[in-house]
Amino acid sequence: MSGGGHSDVKNAVWMRALLMAGIILGLGVASYVGLGVVVAGMKETTWDEEADHFHDAEKDWKDAVAAGTIESDDTSAELYIAKEAAHHHEIDAHLSYLTYRVAGLTMLFVSIIFTAFLVISGVLNSAQPDDEHHDDHHGHEEHHGSASPIIFAFGCMLFLIGFPDFADGLHSLMLGSGSDAISDLSVGMIGLTIITIGIANWWREDLPFKGYGEQIATSDPFAGQHIRKAGIWVFLMSEVMVFATFFSSYLRMRTEWCTKWAFDEGTCTLEDGETLAMTASDYLRPGGAAGTGDFWTLLPGAINTFALIISSYTIVLALKVAKSHDYKVPTGFMGKLMPDKKSAIRNYLIITLALGTMFIVLKLVEWSHLIAEGFTVGSQEGSIFYISTGAHGVHVFAGLLIMLYMIFKADTVEWDEDNAQGIEYFGLYWHFVDLAWVVIFPAFYLY
Amino acid sequence: MGEHKLIMGKDIYFWNFIILMFFTLFEVGAVFFEKYPGTNTRVSVYVVWGILIVVGIIKGFGIGAFFMHLWDDPKIYLRVALFPTLFVLLMLWGIGLSNPEGVNGLPGWCTPDWGEQYATER
Repeated sequence: MSGGGHSDVKNAVWMRALLMAGIILGLGVASYVGLGVVVAGMKETTWDEEADHFHDAEKDWKDAVAAGTIESDDTSAELYIAKEAAHHHEIDAHLSYLTYRVAGLTMLFVSIIFTAFLVISGVLNSAQPDDEHHDDHHGHEEHHGSASPIIFAFGCMLFLIGFPDFADGLHSLMLGSGSDAISDLSVGMIGLTIITIGIANWWREDLPFKGYGEQIATSDPFAGQHIRKAGIWVFLMSEVMVFATFFSSYLRMRTEWCTKWAFDEGTCTLEDGETLAMTASDYLRPGGAAGTGDFWTLLPGAINTFALIISSYTIVLALKVAKSHDYKVPTGFMGKLMPDKKSAIRNYLIITLALGTMFIVLKLVEWSHLIAEGFTVGSQEGSIFYISTGAHGVHVFAGLLIMLYMIFKADTVEWDEDNAQGIEYFGLYWHFVDLAWVVIFPAFYLY
Repeated sequence: MGEHKLIMGKDIYFWNFIILMFFTLFEVGAVFFEKYPGTNTRVSVYVVWGILIVVGIIKGFGIGAFFMHLWDDPKIYLRVALFPTLFVLLMLWGIGLSNPEGVNGLPGWCTPDWGEQYATER
């Protein structure tokens, strides 16, 4: 981590994490009650009514077919058209219910994890006596060994062991069943908690860091460069390879699947009994083969694309303000929002966090719609889609947890021109997540 | 860093952001056109590929060069960033060879030196 600690971080400062946690949990609960209970409850009533209309229309049609009034394959019959319209309305009502229910539940779960992360980090660090927070007895140029990565890795291992059940739990969430999800999520959540403890230790080591004694590489090829910056770049390149494996597996399978697009281009044929392969874009894209795609189905993915680009810009703005020696207060509303350097950095980071959280919420809403329409992880097309976009979502979520710390530091110790490299290095990760989406979005949503 | 270079009073980050937003809008908007506007000609899959790849390269360049500071930073970071390209190219080659069409559908120059013969013809 940092080369040496100089700032004296009192327990009262750590306790501010609890205040942040309380605010976030309050927002999460309010979102859940508003979206997941009140609005979703109204939407569920509408869905029930539409389902009843559909069953009535279906019964009328079946009765007419049984009576011989109309043929079962007569698609121009009034009762058939009424039945199909009622079915269409029922599907719309179901998806509308899922939108609010899943959005509310996701906000609640995300806020609980954020809260757990802040509370554990804050309490663990504030439990230490004040006089032990001084870290400079090692000498501020000395390298500090850290157990945090080992704790963090152990947490990751547990999370991955529990991942199959975790995935089942998320599936239950997608179906709007919150109670079934709790037990399935348990091992994964324990892993996440240990990850949080590892990160809390990282907090303790990094929060006092004011930018003096940054370790410099002494040998090629990074001689003269900050070791942390070189490290984050090497880490990002390993991440490129992770995403490249997902992408290449998709590309490999996509060249073999007989999609509608490939069929229309004449690059594949269908044998008797074979059907077209359905990709996620066939469900989401206007004119897609599933026939479900329109402006609204593509909207969450499109909003997410803009959200990531805007969030990349806001974190650059946070870095720019942190590095500036003379912060100029903007005019108008922005001036009220960001009256000084400290609040400008913190608020740019909060906007980034909000955009990232919106990304996760819209992602899960979109998944719930796809699952409801039959595009599940059980198919090759679904498996590659959910693993690739899910891995990306996990990266976004990990970034949000780091962002919580960045906001906490902005609100306490503060970022300035001496320690702004912390924002820069995290920004590199966040921009990489944006960059990965630049590839994933067109490949999985538009093509 | 790029905030010192001003174009029309705004720094490079602002213009990069605007360009990224424009191309994203273009990318998403293009999906709504199954046919070329004003014609009955269907947009071919290869044109879609071309648009998505070109837009992707422009957006990737904007994010990498300016938001990630590769344009100004020491070139060692650019070299690190470009290193996985080799890995990605190898995987693309692997995709080509492992494709059902790979054995007898690829031209000779795409395969190892088998005397310009396809493996199935030897």
